[in-house]
Amino acid sequence: MDMITTWEFWQQTGWGLVKLVWQMAVIVIPLMVCMEIMKDLQVLDKVSGWFHWTVKPFAMSPAAVFPLLVGLVFGLAYGAGFIIQAAKEGTLGKRDLYLISLFLVVNHSAIEDTLLFAVVGANGWVVLIFRFVASILITWAVGRFIMPVEKVHQEI
Amino acid sequence: MDWLATTKRGLVKGFTTTWLLTKVMAPVYLAVVLLGQTPVMDWLARLAQPVMGLLGLPGETATALVVGNLLNLYAAIGAMGALTLDTREITVLAMVLLISHNLLVETAVSKQTGINVTSLVLVRVVGGLLAGLLLNWGWQLWI
Repeated sequence: MDMITTWEFWQQTGWGLVKLVWQMAVIVIPLMVCMEIMKDLQVLDKVSGWFHWTVKPFAMSPAAVFPLLVGLVFGLAYGAGFIIQAAKEGTLGKRDLYLISLFLVVNHSAIEDTLLFAVVGANGWVVLIFRFVASILITWAVGRFIMPVEKVHQEI
Repeated sequence: MDWLATTKRGLVKGFTTTWLLTKVMAPVYLAVVLLGQTPVMDWLARLAQPVMGLLGLPGETATALVVGNLLNLYAAIGAMGALTLDTREITVLAMVLLISHNLLVETAVSKQTGINVTSLVLVRVVGGLLAGLLLNWGWQLWI
């Protein structure tokens, strides 16, 4: 407990916080600019359309592709940033929002997190594949049985 | 298309999102750092110790599991560094932690999307333990 009273502790904590914000800014801001440009060039809809097959088995809309990809590659906070933006703009429905979040809480920042453990001696392929299978199964099961499209539409 | 307007719109959205994430994460980050300085982690680890055997893990790994879930993955890896573990043990521990970790900060973030997060936390904790259980079981069968 006495560490809390030291200057170094607060200095370290402060730096940690600055680093956290900086890391988010350098990823989120360029990505948002890219997305706006892609939107205006009508590229975003096209790309989302090409990859619609990846989310079709879960009956999700093409707009789900981009937040999922961002979360999988960069991390949950970044994915959430894009989900919040999409929620504000009304491009994603409630069911999509929930299923994307469900998938991403289980499986995000897939490459970096896996490497973190592979470096200290875990079998990286095993955990990477297992995590993908787990996230896909959970999302599919919840999307199919707990919030099937017909039921959600009725409620809305 | 108006490049300047588009870029400006992207920048505004980028800054707003970063600011929102900062507002959400900073207080939780601080709380987590302070929590790491309290004996709470040790108490929880002692509680979790007897259960680790179900995952085929030695009792000392409870600390890594507890700090990984409440603090973050770096803390968990730090705690693992102090132990001598074989590949199966490290992989099973990694499996549980990859699915369920950094719960305080990450839940605060997911909550911002306006969804019910209690179910998400449950899925992560139960899902992580189940995945570890299955992996440990499969490992001993096939490897």
